[in-house]
Order: sequence, then structure tokens, then C-alpha cells
Amino acid sequence: MVASAPFTRRSWRELLYALVSFPLGVFGVAFVMATLFFGTLLSVILVGLVLLASSTLAVRRLGALNRDIVRRLLDEDVPPPPPFRPGPGVVGWVRSGVTDRPGWRARGYLVVKFPLALAGFIAVIALRIGSLWLFLAPAQWAANVGTETLQSHGVAQHYIINFGSFYFDTWQRTLLLMGIGVVGWWLAPWVLRAILYLDRHLLADLLGRTSLPSRVRQLERARAGAVDDASARLRRLERDLHDGAQAELVGLVMKLGLAQEKLAHSEPHSLPEVAQARRLVDDAHDRANTALRQLRDLARGIHPPELEHGLESALGTLAARSPLPARATVTTTERPSPAIEEIVYFCAAELVANAAKHSGGSAVAIELTQDGDLLQLSVADDGIGGAAIAGSGLSGLAERLSTVDGRLKVTSPLGGPTVLAVEIPAKP
Amino acid sequence: MSAKPSLRVVVAEDSAVIRAGIVEILADRGHEVPAAVGDAASLIEAVAEHHPDLALIDVRMPPTYTDEGLRAALTLRDDQPDFPVLIFSQYVETRLLVELFGRHGSQGAAGIGYLLKDRVGNVADFMDALSRVAAGGTALDPEVIAELIGAGGRARALDNLTAREREVLSLMAEGRSNAAIASSLVVSERAIEKHISSIFLKLDLLPSGTDHRRVLAVLEYLRL
Repeated sequence: MVASAPFTRRSWRELLYALVSFPLGVFGVAFVMATLFFGTLLSVILVGLVLLASSTLAVRRLGALNRDIVRRLLDEDVPPPPPFRPGPGVVGWVRSGVTDRPGWRARGYLVVKFPLALAGFIAVIALRIGSLWLFLAPAQWAANVGTETLQSHGVAQHYIINFGSFYFDTWQRTLLLMGIGVVGWWLAPWVLRAILYLDRHLLADLLGRTSLPSRVRQLERARAGAVDDASARLRRLERDLHDGAQAELVGLVMKLGLAQEKLAHSEPHSLPEVAQARRLVDDAHDRANTALRQLRDLARGIHPPELEHGLESALGTLAARSPLPARATVTTTERPSPAIEEIVYFCAAELVANAAKHSGGSAVAIELTQDGDLLQLSVADDGIGGAAIAGSGLSGLAERLSTVDGRLKVTSPLGGPTVLAVEIPAKP
Repeated sequence: MSAKPSLRVVVAEDSAVIRAGIVEILADRGHEVPAAVGDAASLIEAVAEHHPDLALIDVRMPPTYTDEGLRAALTLRDDQPDFPVLIFSQYVETRLLVELFGRHGSQGAAGIGYLLKDRVGNVADFMDALSRVAAGGTALDPEVIAELIGAGGRARALDNLTAREREVLSLMAEGRSNAAIASSLVVSERAIEKHISSIFLKLDLLPSGTDHRRVLAVLEYLRL
């Protein structure tokens, strides 16, 4: 395997790749340098910006060509970056062209590619061709082809090569050269492979999709946007309910209340129709009230109105309403985003309700502190302990928290006390 | 009930439907509504212009829909400490109570009412609360009291009270007079007085004369 390395299909393809890469590498770096130079120079008259933007498309093409060659010759399939998405209008097109990240990464590749292509090319020429020449040294010497002639002591002596005063001028010595040629030939693919190893990595990093860390950042941003968006939508929904259906229902309840009063004071009481109408209106009034209450609870579940004034007030109200004596301490320095406030509030509400239901304790302490960008909520009770995340309502909570990179930690030894600690980044 | 004097009431409520309903009920009961407005700034102007007997104020109003109504009520009472205001909101917000009753010492509860919007549909209760507040008394929504009593804190000590005493305590906290409590529970006023002194004894509260002072004492006890 190792011995046959120079003659494998793979080695020949790598050699071909190195040969193709060289002109491509020279062209690439020249193109990038030229467009950058003239683009920057001419950007004062705006033409340069157009040139830069157009060159983005070109370098993306060059990148695609490089990916294609790598796929065909090196069997490495690098997924392409997202396609160029120009903004609206000429200005939008130019702006997206100049700021296109994959374009700049492709430029980076093309610039770094040049020394690599050069190194690969030299490795191929020097090692393969040179080794071949050395391998043929005995034949050359015998045929007296490509040799130099040394005049020594009046005798013309031809030789192949010399290292200082050491002349390869006997056929035994040319056999040594042949050996060096064999070693060189055998070494050549490994040297090239080392150079191509770098090339492949650069290519995957710069011509492929955005690298993993930045892709993660991108996804985090997208998720934060989605979380914020969902929360804004819910707040709007709650506002719509409040302004629309709830207001209408209150209006209805008032009308029915008035009708109720009228019927109660109407004479004569004895008429069976009046009694019946009164029962109907009473019933309608009750039902409208029930509907109103249900709607109110629904709206509260969608977005707790207590949160309008921030977490301190909301957690205070939560503590005041708790069936288990509760105390809320809030020492945050700034208001987190509405979506985060909502999650903190729902966590606290759920944990306090849990403590009241299961802990058997006599008091619960709600504490919200902030450590840099991290919000820490702790809900502690003095109950019997033994709470666990698995198989309880807590798992749903943990799941919800994970959408904002929050974590739930339960410390609940048998016999208590139970401390539920929630950590949430203040910014989603 | 029809013997109650006619009141001049300024209404501040941003929802047109509810505003119209309230005005209709008030008019039906022979009260006068010189102005019905939709935001806090207009409310303060209207009160300055019409000098009403009472202002009926929604908590959530434009522009931010948070607590403009409450701020406006507090402003009005800063100018005129005994000006009667009846606040109503969609939800029980204990924070509102703290802000409403936390000012001006024990006089703070005089002429203050806090009702849930649902209550407005119960015309008799609504009118009762309205006239109580207009007369310088206190009106607290039963649901607010229920939440306070149901909550933790020192409310645990309420376990010592008998069922009847808890009923009396709730009605007392709503701001009702002995006579009103008696008629609502269908017992004699004398019996109510006995219950009340027993409650005050058990909760270690100082007995006090006026209804709104009693409300404050009870609220304070409930850790507001």
C-alpha cells in the first residue's frame, strides 16, 4: 500500500489536481488583487463599488469551479454556500454584493490558494520530474546524454551531477542517484498530499457553508427572533382579546344586568311571562359572566397582564396570591426582553404552584437575581423534598426553558428543603 | 335605593362599548355624566372642568395600556385628597391596592373603590359601591378580598376564625357598614358587632370607628 503509493489512481489524480491548480491559483490571486485594487481605488466615484459587487459574483464562480475540481479529482464534496441574494434595486444589489460573506470568504481562499498551488506545483515538478531524471541517471550516463564533462588530469570524464567536489562520474555512483530517484518518486505523493491536506481544509472552511460556530450564532439569532416574535404575537393576541371580545362581553353583561334590574322592579310580578323572562335573563347574565371569567383566565394564560410592570411587580403579585405564604425578592438590574420575562414568570408561577401542591411546606421564597447576562430564579420551600424533574410537571418546564438556553436544577433531598434553581440568559 | 341622591360622575374608559354601557347604567339610575372620556389626560381636564362628585376610571388606558388610569387617579387625589375615585380593572392586581391605599396614612382609603370590570354588570353591586365611594367610604371587590384571604402570608392566622367570622371579615374588607353586613347575612346588627369584636380580638387588631379605617386595618393585616 505504502510502497505502491506513487502509482495509485489517487496519486495520479492528486498530481493532475496540482497541475490544474497552478494556473487557476495564479489567475485567482491576480483577479482578486486586481478587482480589490481597482474597486477600492474607484469606489470614490462609486463605479468601484459596482466593480467590487460584480467581482463578488465572479469570485463565487471561481469558488464553485474550485469546488467542482476538488469534487472530480479529490472526491471531496464540499456543500456550496447559500446562493447570492441581492437586495432590492441597484443600490441593494451593490450593497449585498459588497457585503456578501461567502464572496469575501471565497476571496480569502483564492488568495491563500496561490502559495499552496505554487507549493503543490513545485512539489510535483521537483519531486516527480526530478526523481524521474535521477532514476534515469545510469541510462543517461551510459548513453552519455545530458551529462557534463570534467577535464581532470587531461582526461575527459563525464558525470551526471556533483555535490561540491563529489562527482557522480562512475556507473556505481549513478546507481546511487537512481536510488535517490526511487526514494524521491515514492516520497512525491506524500509531500503533495500534505499540501493538498491544507488546501482541502481551507476549501471546506472558506468555500463551503459558513463555518459551524458562525452557523450556530446565526441559528441562535434566528431562534431569539422567533422567540421574541412569538411572544410579541401573544401579547398582541392578549391585547386584542382585551379590547375586543372581553370588552364586548363586559358590555353584554352590563346590558343584561340592567335588563335584570328592570325585570326585577317591573310590575306586575305575577305575570308568568315576566317570571320566565326574568329566569332567562338571570341565566344569560350568569353565562355571560362565566364566559367573561373563562376568557379572562385564557388571556391571562396567554400573557400575564401582571408583567406590564416588570418582573418585580409580577412576582410580588404572584407571591401575594400564593396559597402557600410566599415572599418575592427581585434584585435585577435591568428589564430583560419581554419573551424572557414571560418565561421567568411562568416558571415562577409553575414552581410556586408545585410547592403549594406537593411540598407540604409552610413557606416558599421566590428570588430573582442577575449575574451579568444570566438571570437566576430560585424557588425554595421548606417541605418534604424528594422532587425530581423526570415524570413531573417539571419536565415540561425544563423543555420550555431549553428554547431559550435556560436550565432547571432541582436540589431536593428527602426530608427537604427543596430548591429549584432556574438559569436563563437575559437576552434570548 | 331610588332615594339615593343623583351624582355627577366623570367616566374614563378607553373601550367605547364599555364606556357606553356604563353611561347607560348611570343615566338609568338618574346619575349625571358630564363627560365620558377615553384617556387619562382628558380625564384630568374633564375633572378640572366639571368638578364631578366622583370619577370612574379604568386602569388600562392609552397610550401604553398599563396603569395610566391609576396614575391619573393618584394625581387627582394629590390635588384633592378626598376626591372619590372608583377604579376598575380587568384583573385582580394586588399592586394596585398597595398604590391606592398606601398613601396619605389612614385617610388613604377614604373615597376609594376598586372593582373588577365584571362587577359593573352586577348593577346593584356596582351602584352600591359607587354611592359608598361617593360618600367617602371604601369599596373593594369581593374577588380581590377572596384572593387576599385565600393567599398565604399572615392570612394563615385566619384559620382561627369561624366560618361566619370569615364571612364578616370579607364583607368588612369590602368596605361595608355593620348595617349592610347584617342585612347581607340576614342577622341582626348586634350579632355583627359581636362577630367583629371577636375578629379584632383574634387578629389582635385595634377596633376603629369608620368603615374605611376598618378596611385599612384588615388590609394591613392581610399584609398589603
